[in-house]
Amino acid sequence: MVQVNEKLTKDLAELSKLELTPGELQEFTKQLSQIVGYVETLQEVNLKELNLEPQGLANSSPGNSGGVLREDEEKASLLDSEGKPAVLAAAPDVLNDAFKVPPIL
Amino acid sequence: MIQSIREIHDSFDRGEKKPSALVAEYLARIQASPLNAYITVCADRALRQAIRADEVLLKAGKVPRSGQPLFGIPVGIKDNLALSGVRMTCASKVLENYIPPYSATAVERVEAAGAITLGKLNMDEFAMGGSNENSAFGPVLHPTHPDRVPGGSSGGAAAAVRANLCVVALGSDTGGSVRLPASYCGVVGLKPTYGRISRYGLVAFASSLDQVGPIAANVEDTEVLFNVLAGHDSRDSTSLLSEVTAPAAPFSIAGLRIGVPAEYFVEGVASEIRTAIHFKLQLLESQGARLVPLHLAHSRYAVATYYLLAVSEASSNLSRFDGVRYGVRPQAAVEAGELGAFYRATRARFGAEVKRRIILGTFALSSGYVDAYYHRASQVRKLIQRDFAQAFSEVDVIASPVAPATAYKLGERSDDPLQMYLNDIFTVPANLAGFPAISLPSGEDAAGLPIGLQFMAAHSNETLLFGLARQLEQSLKEERS
Repeated sequence: MVQVNEKLTKDLAELSKLELTPGELQEFTKQLSQIVGYVETLQEVNLKELNLEPQGLANSSPGNSGGVLREDEEKASLLDSEGKPAVLAAAPDVLNDAFKVPPIL
Repeated sequence: MIQSIREIHDSFDRGEKKPSALVAEYLARIQASPLNAYITVCADRALRQAIRADEVLLKAGKVPRSGQPLFGIPVGIKDNLALSGVRMTCASKVLENYIPPYSATAVERVEAAGAITLGKLNMDEFAMGGSNENSAFGPVLHPTHPDRVPGGSSGGAAAAVRANLCVVALGSDTGGSVRLPASYCGVVGLKPTYGRISRYGLVAFASSLDQVGPIAANVEDTEVLFNVLAGHDSRDSTSLLSEVTAPAAPFSIAGLRIGVPAEYFVEGVASEIRTAIHFKLQLLESQGARLVPLHLAHSRYAVATYYLLAVSEASSNLSRFDGVRYGVRPQAAVEAGELGAFYRATRARFGAEVKRRIILGTFALSSGYVDAYYHRASQVRKLIQRDFAQAFSEVDVIASPVAPATAYKLGERSDDPLQMYLNDIFTVPANLAGFPAISLPSGEDAAGLPIGLQFMAAHSNETLLFGLARQLEQSLKEERS
């Protein structure tokens, strides 16, 4: 059984790129502890005898079996047409005809 | 008085009303409504569409009979489906000013069928919630009991249909987000087979569970809208290639096997709901249906399985909202200097429930926990799928309540996310296993709050669900008169 404490919540928030206020940290820790406690019930399910594949969303997701591929068709980009202003307007920041992004190095 | 699509078309045909006058009535009602069902109303755009419809009607003398099943029909769109040139917020401050440069396939199809879009409907932020209280634009009020929640996450859609602020609405259903608000508001909502309606242009919450769904005041309109929406789309790789299963014969209640799972009619369900549903099932039995007791061995694990998978997928899907490509980039982020601080300043705009789910999803996917949580949930999902596959080999449909209780008071459950999650016990299996399910109005409790009855059917059997739903709707109508 996992112990959900403020350190774990803080680490998870850091991984999630979220900043929590001290109030949120306390509240979320309590709530996460309840939720994780509840989902622990899955540990009692016996999976061994059922011969299931070990893991994988692809295996459990409903829908077309094996996925669907289509031909790669060449089409005009929204940026090549009169859609360009609309695309650039959706950017948080623009430099000339490009999305301006923060430096990563 | 809520008019059906058929009644509206009749009034167009007889020249009693024209689309622009109808749209003006709806816009006026929206303006005067206290429900907060819409986030964005596109009045000018809607009136322009309506005037074009007026011209078509004037020229043809009547409603076009082919290709336009939604001709002149005012429709509302949940604000997580893109409509080109109109702000799409997902009820989040993160996307407060986002204007998509393209439309969702579902929206394109509805407009191509002649519908007139009135605006974008309120919802729980990023479709996460069951009460519509998690909206950055304020909660939606219940249409007949304004101190209560309308259900969520498509709360604006269900409330708008019930209050006649649109004729039909597009919602989305990841774990019950069409069916629950439809049930709370006393309207009809369908969660189609996974892949039946394109998700292109639907903002992703949990991609293996998300499905667009129609909401309407009656079964016929729900089916009309569904038929417009359904179909393959090469822009969504999970879009089904197969068609809706065509029934061998017209719907007949005689001999229809309705499964009644023991696990779904237990103490935790309000007795008024159990009684109301049993009464409807007995009515169908008296008409020739056969009620079959069922056992769904893994139903008690459905909510835990669902939430682990949904939050995991959400934490991954919502990583794109980082201030680089979308929406708002707060000044604090620009000034942060360091990339981590930049992300955190942007993502501070998420509401509490979204943050909670991202953190929980990060937990379920993180090294050290992924086997015990995410992978285990994926496996239990398979067991739940098996339970239902087995059940659908024995029965044609399965009946259940939509929720254990009717609409609750605003704020009543805000501090208890786990209690909120447990409310989804009857709706999540359809998403986990991908089969279709419909929510039908089924009477009211003593407080006058609508009770919802759910029918589920095997993959691609929407036509069967509509047949049964029409049968019940008609019987209840006859009983009242």
